[in-house]
Amino acid sequence: MPKYIRLAAEGAAWADDRFTAVPDEESLPPGDVIVSLKRFLAEGDALQAEGREVGVRIAASEEIEDLAYDLPRLPVVTVVCPKFSDGRAYTTASLLRERYGYKGEVRAVGDVLREQAGFMVRCGFDAFEPADGSTPEQWTQATRRFRHVYQRAADHRPPAFEERQAQDKAAEAAEVKSHAV
Amino acid sequence: MYRYDALDKEFLADRVSEFRHQVTRRLAGEITEDQFKPLRLMNGLYLQLHAYMLRIAIPYGTLNPAQLRKLAEVARTYDKGYGHFTTRTNLQFHWIKLRDAPDILASLAEVDLHAIQTSGNCIRNTTADPYAGATAEELDDPRVWAEVIRQWSTLHPEFSFLPRKFKIAVTASVKDRTAARTHDIGLALRRGRDGALGFEVMVGGGLGRSPHIGSTIREHLPAGRLLSYLQAILRVYNRHGRRDNKFKARVKILVASLGAEEFGRQVEAEWAQIDPASADLPDTELARIRGFFAPAGFEVLPAVSAKLEAAKAADPALARFLRNNVHPHKASGYAIVDIALKTPGETPGDATAEQMETVADLAERYSQGEARVTHEQNLVLPHVRLDDLPAVHEALKAVGLASANANLISDIIACPGLDYCALANARAIPIAQHIAQRFADQDVAEDIGELKIKISGCINACGHHHVGHIGILGVDKKGEEFYQLTLGGSGAEDAEVGKILGPAIHASRVTDAIDDLVAVYLRERQPGERFLDTYRRTGIAPFKEAVYAEVH
Amino acid sequence: MKALTANRLADGEVVFWSHGRWVERFGQAELFEDDAPAGEAEAKAKSQPTVVVEPYLIEVAPIEDGVAPVAYRERLRALGPTNTPDHGKQAEGGHDVELIAKAAGAARSGGRVNLIKR
Repeated sequence: MPKYIRLAAEGAAWADDRFTAVPDEESLPPGDVIVSLKRFLAEGDALQAEGREVGVRIAASEEIEDLAYDLPRLPVVTVVCPKFSDGRAYTTASLLRERYGYKGEVRAVGDVLREQAGFMVRCGFDAFEPADGSTPEQWTQATRRFRHVYQRAADHRPPAFEERQAQDKAAEAAEVKSHAV
Repeated sequence: MYRYDALDKEFLADRVSEFRHQVTRRLAGEITEDQFKPLRLMNGLYLQLHAYMLRIAIPYGTLNPAQLRKLAEVARTYDKGYGHFTTRTNLQFHWIKLRDAPDILASLAEVDLHAIQTSGNCIRNTTADPYAGATAEELDDPRVWAEVIRQWSTLHPEFSFLPRKFKIAVTASVKDRTAARTHDIGLALRRGRDGALGFEVMVGGGLGRSPHIGSTIREHLPAGRLLSYLQAILRVYNRHGRRDNKFKARVKILVASLGAEEFGRQVEAEWAQIDPASADLPDTELARIRGFFAPAGFEVLPAVSAKLEAAKAADPALARFLRNNVHPHKASGYAIVDIALKTPGETPGDATAEQMETVADLAERYSQGEARVTHEQNLVLPHVRLDDLPAVHEALKAVGLASANANLISDIIACPGLDYCALANARAIPIAQHIAQRFADQDVAEDIGELKIKISGCINACGHHHVGHIGILGVDKKGEEFYQLTLGGSGAEDAEVGKILGPAIHASRVTDAIDDLVAVYLRERQPGERFLDTYRRTGIAPFKEAVYAEVH
Repeated sequence: MKALTANRLADGEVVFWSHGRWVERFGQAELFEDDAPAGEAEAKAKSQPTVVVEPYLIEVAPIEDGVAPVAYRERLRALGPTNTPDHGKQAEGGHDVELIAKAAGAARSGGRVNLIKR
């Protein structure tokens, strides 16, 4: 079974890919599949009625809004990065998580390099098919490279200003406690 | 000034260690140049004609003495003893070695400086009024908002791979010293009818190969909603900006093709769906940032300094400096001082390590520990007591920085051009030097008055030629340097793109052509008119005739 | 006539190919009369990605008393920036530098072979 990198709290790890990604021009194999948005909109209901799990592949130029209604029944959405420098995938993932509250897997495919790891995870990606041969260890390392972040994003990491507030509160509490003693 | 705390410092340390790791991998051959190039560019490191160039961010153009001294130290240790201030208010070192770059960044991080987002298709350094906190004209301190934008945009996860680079300017004065309408987003602080602070939001300005002046898409955005609105603009741009053609990828092209009204509508529609509670900054954080820019404690001083008046009467050079380079301050007894890095014959924007150290000393001793960088490649001491002006002038004179030509014909903007830049078609610096020397006579320059000459060595327009009163663009004609002149541009509040005067002329004719243009102005001008005003009244014809007459 | 040039990876220095090694002065560059050996040298240079960045061939033409790169850009690379005569290779002086500096005005833009703009 093919593998991909899956992110979990304790770090990234290889996972078995039970889905078959099917190009539009190919006929569908049995089992769980990932199909294009176009194919899903045409055949999605029928495929799901067959009892299989169906994921959707979103091209960089496609709008996630077109899938909004169907999201609750999708186990995975794969977002295609045609080029390392094409940043549309980041908005797609952010909208999936923040606007639509999507809880399934958001997987990055295409020109996916470990240098993007930090940005991708912050936008809500939690699965990756790297194009550079990188390993889960490298992805774990890359996502932990920065101890602090400056803005709120889909990963809910507290930005620096919230960290400061928390520190101030902790300091205040310590002060009160020391006075009490 | 904003001060870094432990969190900010740890963030920078992490960035330096990341880049050190990447450089090690590149030198060891673990990654290719194709893979490495975007990584080094994200750290401001370019490979130019003679060496690497490192572009260091100077957030909204504000520097403290420790930072200036550190820049001087880097100039001496790792470069050839000088640096080049740019039209983006950054500083470039032109003789950097790749193997030194991680050490340089580590050294800069000691004084909270870095090169993050000085290149690449991301949100670049925000421009703010160099007179912020010092001019009486402003409604609010634009640096508060520039700092808010700096933090928000730093390694922004969604907006680090935009179709193209993205520049934001913040101004709070009627007089625009930021060239706001030539930025991707220009933000002008305004008071609403109810007195509430807000931004006029201008989008789609930009120079380069197709210059555009930004269009207002919102007259009054409540100030506290800034970040969510920026998010909406960037999101529309990230999704719909062109990615098929680098020359059509800036937001100005999207705004022009949709029309400002439709672009604004899409932004408003996106904005309406963004949750303010998660996108906008909490008031407590805004207040914390604002605290760093609290008005400096100014002494209560008389509006006229007897000491200064006496010195002025005794020293014509000081009097001239005061006339041209010194501007009113909001506090009585203080002044804003322009330091022109434009001594005729020198390279515009260059400063030696010694000059940087002198400015650091002056900022520390006489300007409440602050210096600024302007987009016109000059420096500013924002808070100088009138009594101290003679001493400041003397100290500047001693290091060749007392050039009394701010805003005059020899205060020329020039990009590095073909002398350094891998993108250039022609040189810009020698043209600037030649013109400045022709008009080195200060009486002549003062008689001509405000005249902004801006020179770019290629169509990318780093030298802002489109918005020069006189713009000069270098072109390569069969291997020879030719220059196309434009007239009537302005980057100020009356922003306008200049008009092409005629066919490009040979390098050897440029200075004479400027002479011709100035002669027409001196002949045609009416009382009180600047060069630009006369041009706007007469139109291009008399100027064109003067420059091209001999050709016919 | 052609020469092969690049910037050195570790420090960015302008270098020229000379019989299997890199030299810093244009005067020491190997000159190729024919395209075939020039192409072979370029291929060898490209197999050294940890030594140089983006090697490329430039046109070289005879001038009075010697040879010089044809393109003005390449002359600047061989000399250094014109606004600071004490920086770059020109600072060391030498016959080759003087020749190129004197030849100003004869440049043309056709002298770039597969130029990569970075």
